[in-house]
Amino acid sequence: MTDAATTVPTAERRRRVLPAVASYLPFLPAIVLLGGFFLVPLGIIVCYSFWEVVDYNVVHRWTLDNYHYFFSVTAYVRTMWATLWVSLVATGITLGLAFPFAYWLSRYVPRRLRAPLLVLAVVPFWTSYLLRVYSWLTILGQKGLLNRFLQWTGMTHHPIGLFLYDRSAVILVLIYLYFPFAALTLYSSIERFDWDQLRAAMDLGATPFGAIRRILVPQIRPGIVTAVIFVFIPILGEYLTPQIVGGTGGVMIGNLVVNFFQAAEYTRGAAVSLLIAIFILLMLVLFRRSLSTREAYGG
Amino acid sequence: MAADVEILSRRGRVTRLALAVYGTLIYVFLFGPIVLLVLFSFNANRYGTFPVTAWTLKWYRAAVSDYQIHDAVATTLKVAGEVTAISVVVGTTAAFPLVRSRLRWRDGVRVGLVLPIMIPGLLIGVSLLVLFTGPLHWQLSPQTAVIGQSVYTTPFVILLVSARLQGFDRALERAAADLGANAFNRLRFVVLPLILPAIIAGALLAFTLSLDEFIITYFLIGTNITLPIFIYTQIKFGITPEVNALASMLLAASLLVLALAFALPQVIRASRRAVRFGTGRRAARITA
Repeated sequence: MTDAATTVPTAERRRRVLPAVASYLPFLPAIVLLGGFFLVPLGIIVCYSFWEVVDYNVVHRWTLDNYHYFFSVTAYVRTMWATLWVSLVATGITLGLAFPFAYWLSRYVPRRLRAPLLVLAVVPFWTSYLLRVYSWLTILGQKGLLNRFLQWTGMTHHPIGLFLYDRSAVILVLIYLYFPFAALTLYSSIERFDWDQLRAAMDLGATPFGAIRRILVPQIRPGIVTAVIFVFIPILGEYLTPQIVGGTGGVMIGNLVVNFFQAAEYTRGAAVSLLIAIFILLMLVLFRRSLSTREAYGG
Repeated sequence: MAADVEILSRRGRVTRLALAVYGTLIYVFLFGPIVLLVLFSFNANRYGTFPVTAWTLKWYRAAVSDYQIHDAVATTLKVAGEVTAISVVVGTTAAFPLVRSRLRWRDGVRVGLVLPIMIPGLLIGVSLLVLFTGPLHWQLSPQTAVIGQSVYTTPFVILLVSARLQGFDRALERAAADLGANAFNRLRFVVLPLILPAIIAGALLAFTLSLDEFIITYFLIGTNITLPIFIYTQIKFGITPEVNALASMLLAASLLVLALAFALPQVIRASRRAVRFGTGRRAARITA
């Protein structure tokens, strides 16, 4: 191919290259939009995180001060670890809840009911994210369902703020938010599984759980990895949930970013944003082998 | 599956029952909060929660007559319309070379194009804020919010349309070319009608996502407000029945658009099939 290309006369080559270039031309609007307003700004964020602010102006002087500052404040570092912890726990529980659900849907539910039940489980994912967080206030809030119930049963006389404004409330709501996505992803890979294999394993003496763990789980690993990544990543950058139900105890790294930017400390905010981006990149690189975007978005 | 039923031991039946109960509980978990929210929006009690004192529509009336909400609705719809137009045009054009041109790193390009979906919206928001206020010196306005939202919605259109193009039989285009159709006519009368369902689904999806988008808009819209931002500023101080009513209407709106996104492409496909089938039968009758 390369030999042939070098010996082709220029006119001939142009005739071959031009249509090829023309066939890439429709990418142009997407390159302008996603290049100019997605990649370039991310690049600027990277630069900002290594620049400094003098008198509210960003000065192009390279420094590690923003990072030094972040890691010198114990509260920030603790928030970073807490964010990773919350992401891990919420992702773990979400998948733990979604797996039996997907298993039930693909194995025990009659075929004609599967699609409607799956759609029913996924519908909340496409409704307003903000409203789904808000809806928990009616349950967990000061005058929420839980407090009303406890007062009614006489277990407490005063409403307790215990259910709201701490880390466990954040985790609960995150599980609620991302369950549909995990269920959909796991279901679409379990659906293709041949159940005879499980039966064969059990005929050969495997326990039901042993058979699931050693036969089913390895085969749906790409689906599991995809679900883990696409639940974990958005949680890392979560802002609204900790803001609305988290209070001071549930602060996550995304809230730090917003606080910095609202205080016009752009370079420090950029450094924290870059930390989030680095964690995401690490996840993607770590799992790139078994990751499948097709699984996630049907693309 | 029928054989399964016979083999089912007592333990199998218990498992089946336990999982069915579990599945039901999951649906209660998923819809409980939403149902409660809608329920409380009809509750006369002004705390927006239990107890239900009487049923009323007054919160809906209050929400509908609030001029701040009118402004927010107008801005939200304008932004959503522009976002939809941009993402449909940019997404559909990008889907063609993604599927059809000879790309060496097709999977890489695909991942690159859908990267904005994987990155948290927060990062898109702050990075664009820095670009607009820093190097570009642009005033924040609904237009800057439109750009930010389009970055996030366009990949969804790319995914939907490219999936449809993938299953596209190119023999149809060659046939049209043999019959004398030029490139424009092939696109206009053969390709576009066939991928229209995906484009419509993409448009409706982009519209819904834009209606509900919060974090990118929050950073980029400046002093204007959209509905999600209005709701956010209200709920900082707890639950109010007006917001419950507003939230219920917004939920209903996005469910409606979603239902359209799922149903319309199928209706179009079905009607086209019916037309084809009808003409086929008529042709058969004539030849007979």
